[in-house]
Amino acid sequence: MKTKKPLAAIVYYLVMIIISAYCFFPMIWMVYSSFKTNLSIFKYPLALPESVSFTNWKEAWRIGKISVYAGNSLFITATTTAALLLFSAMAAYAFSRISFKGKGVLVSLFVLGLFLPIQSYFIAQNAIINFLHLGDSFFCLILPYIAMGVSLAIYILREYFSAIPTEMDESARIDGAGHAQIFWAVMLPMVTPGLATAGVFTTLSVWNEFLLALLYIQNPDMKTLTVGMYAFSGQHSTDYAMLFAGLSMITIPMILVYFMFNKVIVSGIIEGAVKG
Amino acid sequence: MQGMIRTRKNQKNELSGYLFVAPAFIIFLIFVLLPVLITFAYSFFRYDGFNPMQYIGFSNYSRLYLDKIHLQAYMNTFIYIALTLVLEVGVGLTLAALVSARFKGSIFFRTAFFTPVLLPGVVVGMLWTFVYNQRFGLLNALLKAIKLESLAISWLSNEKTALIAVSVVSGWIFAGYYMTIFYAAIQRIPKDLYDAADIDGASPIRQFLYIKLPLIMDMVVVAVLLCVTGAFQGFDLFYVMTNGQPNHKTEIVTTWLVRIVFNNRDVGYGSAMSVVLTLIVLIMAVGINKARRHTEY
Repeated sequence: MKTKKPLAAIVYYLVMIIISAYCFFPMIWMVYSSFKTNLSIFKYPLALPESVSFTNWKEAWRIGKISVYAGNSLFITATTTAALLLFSAMAAYAFSRISFKGKGVLVSLFVLGLFLPIQSYFIAQNAIINFLHLGDSFFCLILPYIAMGVSLAIYILREYFSAIPTEMDESARIDGAGHAQIFWAVMLPMVTPGLATAGVFTTLSVWNEFLLALLYIQNPDMKTLTVGMYAFSGQHSTDYAMLFAGLSMITIPMILVYFMFNKVIVSGIIEGAVKG
Repeated sequence: MQGMIRTRKNQKNELSGYLFVAPAFIIFLIFVLLPVLITFAYSFFRYDGFNPMQYIGFSNYSRLYLDKIHLQAYMNTFIYIALTLVLEVGVGLTLAALVSARFKGSIFFRTAFFTPVLLPGVVVGMLWTFVYNQRFGLLNALLKAIKLESLAISWLSNEKTALIAVSVVSGWIFAGYYMTIFYAAIQRIPKDLYDAADIDGASPIRQFLYIKLPLIMDMVVVAVLLCVTGAFQGFDLFYVMTNGQPNHKTEIVTTWLVRIVFNNRDVGYGSAMSVVLTLIVLIMAVGINKARRHTEY
């Protein structure tokens, strides 16, 4: 291998640092502005805060009800992801291991679901939610999110199930195990990487979802984090210091989680996107 | 006898097949498939969501061609697509070239450039609304700092810059995403291909252009199609940053659709809009699928 020229390395790292700054500086500016007063944000937008005070953060937490919204988002995301992974794994197992009439049609319908944009169903979905009296309950988001996510999760998991040699379940069947047992005790533990991929993708999509949460939830105490933060910015549109604090409160934990689990998160997003 | 047992076993087997698929399918049927069909049906009616529906044939569809804002929304989407192809796919490809050049620390930069991808679009949109703010925004503050005060304008309320400004944010988010897709494809290229080039003394830039790029071309096609279908479905950033303002210069199909259906209660017309958008996205998706089939090697 050739030795690198030092000049090339300097230019390379300089370029990379500039791009990194472009990625991060808006966020860094947001965080340090959250410690300033509105007056100093206006007068010296670039300046660092003179002292670090968490007044804005406390206000955003209390007035902006960030804790309530985060709780709602956490509940909706956790419930959706758990149910979606279980139902998708069950269906993927059936598609990979059981032969039954109409399987081909069902598979094609789920494949169609991979491509249908949200705009193709959200108008009538809203009508169905009203018809079923699901409005202003968390189910009016959880059920649509499951419905929107199953296609991709089944698609990913089916590949993982199909990669498992059939001897595995055949030997279990000879021992007298039924499908439920084989699925739960033998097969499901073997598709954990698939569950992780589908789980990461689902968690992030649900946590970040905005359109349906904006349209379906009217009760202010049931808003999700994205919609709650948006509503908060509408009500306090000139209290920039407090809004910076609210945005920082949402962003920092997400970035920390990303740095901790970046490998599984990146592969979850990329695998999910390239397949879906 | 033997046959009968087998049939009974098969029936039991079939039943468990349906039971395993049922939970996912029932939810999918009620909340996706049926709504698609009902939306299609709505598109032939005049309907406000409450009062009785009135059949009007294809009138909603012919209205689509007369609705200037609807046409402008598509025009804006095309501009947005052109801009994001450069700012997302083009920049993503350049970043992939940079992080796959054999310098140390690539993992650090790859992690950094991907960060915006996972943040909620709403939060990013709000942050960048502040970045673009005329009075205290980061952009104008930086321009002032380098004595370019004359360029400091209200980026999001200026008709000339608003759509570009939103597209730049879209690029800020997704360039790292396409970089990661391309980087993964480059990693799959057999190592001996560069070793030969190394011996020949080809520069990293030439190696990228003549060895890596042609070998990941299929992935570039997939990325272009993903970017285009994504652009047709865009919503969050636009809604939060401008919601069509100024003067519909940033109106895109879904922001207009939401206003028509949920503010104007024009459900029938909105449904016709969504049917057209769905057809466009589905046709693109077939294209993606064809391109993707080539990428599996």
